Amino acid sequence: MALTDADLVARVLLDDDHHAFAELVRNHQSSVRGLLRHLTRTDVTLADDLAQETFLRVYKNLRTFRGEARFSTWLYRIAYNCFREEARKRKELVGIDEERLQTEQDPQTTDPALRHDLMHALSLLPLHERSAVLLCCQNGLSHDEAARVLDIPLGTVKTNVLRGREKLKRTLAAWGPS
Amino acid sequence: MEEMIQDDQLDRQLREAAPYIDDDGFTARVVSKLPSPGRAPRSMRGIILVGITAVGSAIAYAISGGRFVNEAIIRLSTFPIWILLVFAFGCGLIVGACAVIAAIRKTPEVRDLGRLQS
Repeated sequence: MALTDADLVARVLLDDDHHAFAELVRNHQSSVRGLLRHLTRTDVTLADDLAQETFLRVYKNLRTFRGEARFSTWLYRIAYNCFREEARKRKELVGIDEERLQTEQDPQTTDPALRHDLMHALSLLPLHERSAVLLCCQNGLSHDEAARVLDIPLGTVKTNVLRGREKLKRTLAAWGPS
Repeated sequence: MEEMIQDDQLDRQLREAAPYIDDDGFTARVVSKLPSPGRAPRSMRGIILVGITAVGSAIAYAISGGRFVNEAIIRLSTFPIWILLVFAFGCGLIVGACAVIAAIRKTPEVRDLGRLQS
Protein backbone atom coordinates (compact mmCIF):
# COMPACT_ATOMS: atom_id res chain seq x y z
CA MET A 1 0.00 0.00 0.00
CA ALA A 2 1.35 3.45 -0.94
CA LEU A 3 2.22 5.69 1.99
CA THR A 4 0.42 8.99 2.35
CA ASP A 5 2.20 12.34 2.42
CA ALA A 6 1.66 12.46 6.19
CA ASP A 7 3.36 9.05 6.63
CA LEU A 8 6.31 10.11 4.51
CA VAL A 9 6.66 13.44 6.34
CA ALA A 10 6.58 11.59 9.68
CA ARG A 11 9.36 9.25 8.50
CA VAL A 12 11.54 12.14 7.39
CA LEU A 13 11.01 13.94 10.70
CA LEU A 14 11.56 10.93 12.96
CA ASP A 15 14.33 9.09 11.14
CA ASP A 16 15.71 11.68 8.72
CA ASP A 17 14.74 9.10 6.09
CA HIS A 18 16.08 10.25 2.70
CA HIS A 19 14.18 7.47 0.91
CA ALA A 20 10.90 8.80 2.30
CA PHE A 21 11.82 12.32 1.24
CA ALA A 22 12.73 11.05 -2.24
CA GLU A 23 9.26 9.48 -2.43
CA LEU A 24 7.69 12.84 -1.51
CA VAL A 25 9.73 14.56 -4.24
CA ARG A 26 8.77 11.88 -6.81
CA ASN A 27 5.07 12.24 -5.92
CA HIS A 28 5.00 16.02 -6.29
CA GLN A 29 7.79 16.89 -8.72
CA SER A 30 5.55 16.96 -11.79
CA SER A 31 2.93 19.34 -10.33
CA VAL A 32 5.55 21.65 -8.78
CA ARG A 33 7.70 21.78 -11.90
CA GLY A 34 4.59 22.25 -14.05
CA LEU A 35 3.35 25.11 -11.89
CA LEU A 36 6.75 26.80 -11.96
CA ARG A 37 7.06 26.34 -15.73
CA HIS A 38 3.77 28.17 -16.18
CA LEU A 39 4.74 30.88 -13.73
CA THR A 40 8.08 31.43 -15.45
CA ARG A 41 6.36 31.31 -18.84
CA THR A 42 7.84 27.87 -19.55
CA ASP A 43 11.49 28.66 -18.91
CA VAL A 44 12.26 25.01 -18.21
CA THR A 45 15.76 25.50 -16.78
CA LEU A 46 14.76 28.30 -14.43
CA ALA A 47 11.60 26.43 -13.38
CA ASP A 48 13.57 23.26 -12.57
CA ASP A 49 16.16 25.24 -10.60
CA LEU A 50 13.34 26.82 -8.62
CA ALA A 51 11.69 23.43 -8.12
CA GLN A 52 14.96 22.05 -6.77
CA GLU A 53 15.28 25.03 -4.43
CA THR A 54 11.66 24.47 -3.37
CA PHE A 55 12.25 20.87 -2.33
CA LEU A 56 15.48 21.74 -0.51
CA ARG A 57 13.57 24.40 1.45
CA VAL A 58 10.84 21.86 2.17
CA TYR A 59 13.45 19.52 3.64
CA LYS A 60 15.01 22.25 5.77
CA ASN A 61 11.68 23.55 7.06
CA LEU A 62 9.73 20.31 7.34
CA ARG A 63 9.57 20.67 11.13
CA THR A 64 7.53 23.85 10.69
CA PHE A 65 4.87 21.96 8.69
CA ARG A 66 2.06 21.47 11.23
CA GLY A 67 -0.28 19.46 9.05
CA GLU A 68 -3.08 22.04 9.34
CA ALA A 69 -3.15 22.42 5.55
CA ARG A 70 -2.55 19.76 2.90
CA PHE A 71 1.12 19.03 2.27
CA SER A 72 0.67 20.06 -1.37
CA THR A 73 -0.73 23.46 -0.33
CA TRP A 74 2.32 24.06 1.86
CA LEU A 75 4.57 22.87 -0.95
CA TYR A 76 2.96 25.19 -3.52
CA ARG A 77 3.36 28.09 -1.12
CA ILE A 78 7.09 27.46 -0.85
CA ALA A 79 7.34 27.06 -4.63
CA TYR A 80 5.46 30.32 -5.16
CA ASN A 81 7.72 32.12 -2.67
CA CYS A 82 10.81 30.80 -4.49
CA PHE A 83 9.36 32.06 -7.76
CA ARG A 84 8.49 35.47 -6.27
CA GLU A 85 12.00 35.94 -4.88
CA GLU A 86 13.52 35.00 -8.22
CA ALA A 87 11.11 37.29 -10.09
CA ARG A 88 12.06 40.15 -7.79
CA LYS A 89 15.71 39.47 -8.53
CA ARG A 90 15.21 39.32 -12.27
CA LYS A 91 12.52 42.01 -12.46
CA GLU A 92 11.26 40.46 -15.68
CA LEU A 93 10.50 36.93 -16.67
CA VAL A 94 11.83 35.25 -19.76
CA GLY A 95 9.94 34.30 -22.92
CA ILE A 96 8.05 31.23 -24.02
CA ASP A 97 9.84 28.04 -24.98
CA GLU A 98 6.81 26.70 -26.82
CA GLU A 99 8.60 24.03 -28.80
CA ARG A 100 9.85 22.44 -25.57
CA LEU A 101 6.39 22.70 -24.06
CA GLN A 102 4.82 20.98 -27.07
CA THR A 103 7.11 17.97 -26.85
CA GLU A 104 6.20 17.38 -23.21
CA GLN A 105 2.44 17.36 -23.59
CA ASP A 106 0.56 14.32 -22.37
CA PRO A 107 -0.39 12.28 -25.43
CA GLN A 108 -3.71 11.30 -23.81
CA THR A 109 -5.06 14.85 -23.80
CA THR A 110 -7.66 15.95 -26.29
CA ASP A 111 -6.89 18.20 -29.23
CA PRO A 112 -3.21 19.22 -29.46
CA ALA A 113 -4.16 22.50 -31.16
CA LEU A 114 -6.64 23.34 -28.39
CA ARG A 115 -4.01 22.42 -25.80
CA HIS A 116 -1.51 24.68 -27.50
CA ASP A 117 -3.99 27.58 -27.64
CA LEU A 118 -4.95 27.02 -24.02
CA MET A 119 -1.34 27.05 -22.82
CA HIS A 120 -0.62 30.10 -24.93
CA ALA A 121 -3.71 31.91 -23.61
CA LEU A 122 -2.66 30.98 -20.09
CA SER A 123 0.84 32.37 -20.61
CA LEU A 124 -0.70 35.67 -21.75
CA LEU A 125 -2.60 36.19 -18.49
CA PRO A 126 -1.07 38.61 -15.99
CA LEU A 127 0.88 36.84 -13.26
CA HIS A 128 -1.69 37.31 -10.47
CA GLU A 129 -4.51 35.86 -12.59
CA ARG A 130 -2.31 33.09 -14.03
CA SER A 131 -1.20 31.97 -10.55
CA ALA A 132 -4.77 31.90 -9.24
CA VAL A 133 -6.10 30.00 -12.28
CA LEU A 134 -3.23 27.50 -12.20
CA LEU A 135 -3.67 26.75 -8.50
CA CYS A 136 -7.47 26.62 -8.42
CA CYS A 137 -8.43 25.31 -11.87
CA GLN A 138 -5.45 23.17 -12.80
CA ASN A 139 -4.07 21.96 -9.46
CA GLY A 140 -7.45 21.65 -7.74
CA LEU A 141 -6.82 23.90 -4.74
CA SER A 142 -9.77 25.58 -3.07
CA HIS A 143 -9.93 29.39 -3.13
CA ASP A 144 -9.01 29.38 0.55
CA GLU A 145 -5.93 27.20 -0.04
CA ALA A 146 -4.86 29.33 -3.00
CA ALA A 147 -5.20 32.46 -0.84
CA ARG A 148 -2.80 30.87 1.66
CA VAL A 149 -0.34 29.88 -1.07
CA LEU A 150 -0.38 33.30 -2.72
CA ASP A 151 -0.61 35.16 0.59
CA ILE A 152 -3.43 37.39 -0.64
CA PRO A 153 -7.03 37.88 0.58
CA LEU A 154 -9.63 35.27 -0.33
CA GLY A 155 -11.72 37.83 -2.23
CA THR A 156 -8.75 38.77 -4.40
CA VAL A 157 -8.19 35.11 -5.30
CA LYS A 158 -11.84 34.73 -6.30
CA THR A 159 -11.66 37.88 -8.43
CA ASN A 160 -8.40 36.78 -10.08
CA VAL A 161 -9.78 33.32 -10.87
CA LEU A 162 -12.96 34.84 -12.28
CA ARG A 163 -11.11 37.35 -14.46
CA GLY A 164 -8.54 34.77 -15.57
CA ARG A 165 -11.27 32.31 -16.52
CA GLU A 166 -13.19 34.94 -18.46
CA LYS A 167 -10.08 35.94 -20.42
CA LEU A 168 -9.27 32.31 -21.19
CA LYS A 169 -12.83 31.69 -22.30
CA ARG A 170 -12.79 34.76 -24.54
CA THR A 171 -9.49 33.67 -26.09
CA LEU A 172 -10.75 30.14 -26.60
CA ALA A 173 -14.28 31.15 -27.69
CA ALA A 174 -13.63 29.87 -31.19
CA TRP A 175 -13.35 26.32 -29.86
CA GLY A 176 -16.84 26.52 -28.34
CA PRO A 177 -18.36 23.83 -26.11
CA SER A 178 -17.63 20.29 -27.30
CA MET B 1 -23.02 33.30 -32.23
CA GLU B 2 -20.53 30.99 -30.58
CA GLU B 3 -21.28 29.88 -27.04
CA MET B 4 -18.76 30.53 -24.30
CA ILE B 5 -16.90 27.58 -22.78
CA GLN B 6 -18.30 26.54 -19.39
CA ASP B 7 -16.20 26.85 -16.19
CA ASP B 8 -16.04 23.10 -15.53
CA GLN B 9 -15.14 22.41 -19.16
CA LEU B 10 -12.35 24.99 -19.00
CA ASP B 11 -11.05 23.52 -15.73
CA ARG B 12 -11.10 20.02 -17.24
CA GLN B 13 -9.20 21.23 -20.30
CA LEU B 14 -6.66 22.98 -18.09
CA ARG B 15 -6.13 19.81 -16.06
CA GLU B 16 -5.83 17.68 -19.19
CA ALA B 17 -3.43 20.15 -20.77
CA ALA B 18 -1.09 19.93 -17.78
CA PRO B 19 1.56 17.48 -18.94
CA TYR B 20 2.97 14.87 -16.57
CA ILE B 21 6.64 15.79 -16.35
CA ASP B 22 8.93 12.78 -16.23
CA ASP B 23 11.22 12.69 -13.23
CA ASP B 24 14.26 12.26 -15.49
CA GLY B 25 16.77 12.32 -12.61
CA PHE B 26 15.19 15.32 -10.86
CA THR B 27 14.55 13.47 -7.58
CA ALA B 28 18.10 12.08 -7.55
CA ARG B 29 19.50 15.60 -8.03
CA VAL B 30 17.43 16.93 -5.13
CA VAL B 31 18.34 14.04 -2.82
CA SER B 32 22.06 14.40 -3.65
CA LYS B 33 21.91 17.98 -2.36
CA LEU B 34 20.36 17.05 1.00
CA PRO B 35 22.62 17.20 4.05
CA SER B 36 23.80 13.78 5.23
CA PRO B 37 21.48 12.07 7.75
CA GLY B 38 21.95 13.45 11.26
CA ARG B 39 22.77 10.22 13.11
CA ALA B 40 25.89 11.53 14.80
CA PRO B 41 24.20 14.44 16.66
CA ARG B 42 21.51 12.10 17.98
CA SER B 43 24.05 9.61 19.41
CA MET B 44 26.06 12.54 20.76
CA ARG B 45 22.99 13.69 22.67
CA GLY B 46 22.81 10.32 24.45
CA ILE B 47 26.50 10.39 25.32
CA ILE B 48 26.19 13.93 26.70
CA LEU B 49 23.17 12.99 28.83
CA VAL B 50 24.89 9.92 30.30
CA GLY B 51 28.07 11.94 30.87
CA ILE B 52 26.24 14.76 32.67
CA THR B 53 24.41 12.23 34.86
CA ALA B 54 27.68 10.51 35.78
CA VAL B 55 29.44 13.78 36.56
CA GLY B 56 26.44 15.03 38.61
CA SER B 57 26.39 11.79 40.61
CA ALA B 58 30.13 11.98 41.24
CA ILE B 59 29.87 15.59 42.46
CA ALA B 60 26.91 14.71 44.76
CA TYR B 61 28.88 11.76 46.17
CA ALA B 62 31.97 13.88 46.75
CA ILE B 63 30.06 16.74 48.45
CA SER B 64 28.19 14.38 50.80
CA GLY B 65 31.41 12.56 51.71
CA GLY B 66 29.80 9.28 50.60
CA ARG B 67 27.67 9.10 53.74
CA PHE B 68 24.29 8.71 52.03
CA VAL B 69 25.50 5.71 50.06
CA ASN B 70 26.69 3.93 53.20
CA GLU B 71 23.42 4.70 54.97
CA ALA B 72 21.38 3.44 52.02
CA ILE B 73 23.35 0.17 51.89
CA ILE B 74 22.91 -0.36 55.64
CA ARG B 75 19.16 0.34 55.35
CA LEU B 76 18.83 -2.03 52.37
CA SER B 77 20.62 -4.82 54.23
CA THR B 78 17.93 -4.69 56.95
CA PHE B 79 15.10 -5.27 54.42
CA PRO B 80 13.68 -8.80 53.97
CA ILE B 81 15.07 -10.52 50.89
CA TRP B 82 11.63 -10.88 49.18
CA ILE B 83 11.13 -7.10 49.20
CA LEU B 84 14.49 -6.65 47.46
CA LEU B 85 13.53 -9.28 44.87
CA VAL B 86 10.15 -7.61 44.19
CA PHE B 87 11.88 -4.23 43.93
CA ALA B 88 14.48 -5.57 41.47
CA PHE B 89 11.77 -7.33 39.41
CA GLY B 90 9.64 -4.15 39.33
CA CYS B 91 12.61 -2.06 38.18
CA GLY B 92 13.32 -4.62 35.46
CA LEU B 93 9.69 -4.50 34.29
CA ILE B 94 9.67 -0.68 34.10
CA VAL B 95 12.97 -0.54 32.17
CA GLY B 96 11.79 -3.32 29.82
CA ALA B 97 8.47 -1.55 29.14
CA CYS B 98 10.28 1.71 28.36
CA ALA B 99 12.61 -0.15 25.98
CA VAL B 100 9.67 -1.78 24.13
CA ILE B 101 7.84 1.58 23.80
CA ALA B 102 11.00 3.25 22.49
CA ALA B 103 11.57 0.40 19.99
CA ILE B 104 7.97 0.66 18.69
CA ARG B 105 8.22 4.42 18.30
CA LYS B 106 11.48 4.07 16.36
CA THR B 107 10.22 1.36 13.98
CA PRO B 108 8.32 2.86 11.01
CA GLU B 109 6.71 -0.47 9.99
CA VAL B 110 5.13 -0.97 13.44
CA ARG B 111 3.97 2.66 13.49
CA ASP B 112 2.30 2.31 10.08
CA LEU B 113 0.63 -0.95 11.17
CA GLY B 114 -0.82 0.86 14.19
CA ARG B 115 -2.18 3.63 11.95
CA LEU B 116 -3.75 1.16 9.53
CA GLN B 117 -5.55 -0.67 12.35
CA SER B 118 -6.93 2.54 13.89
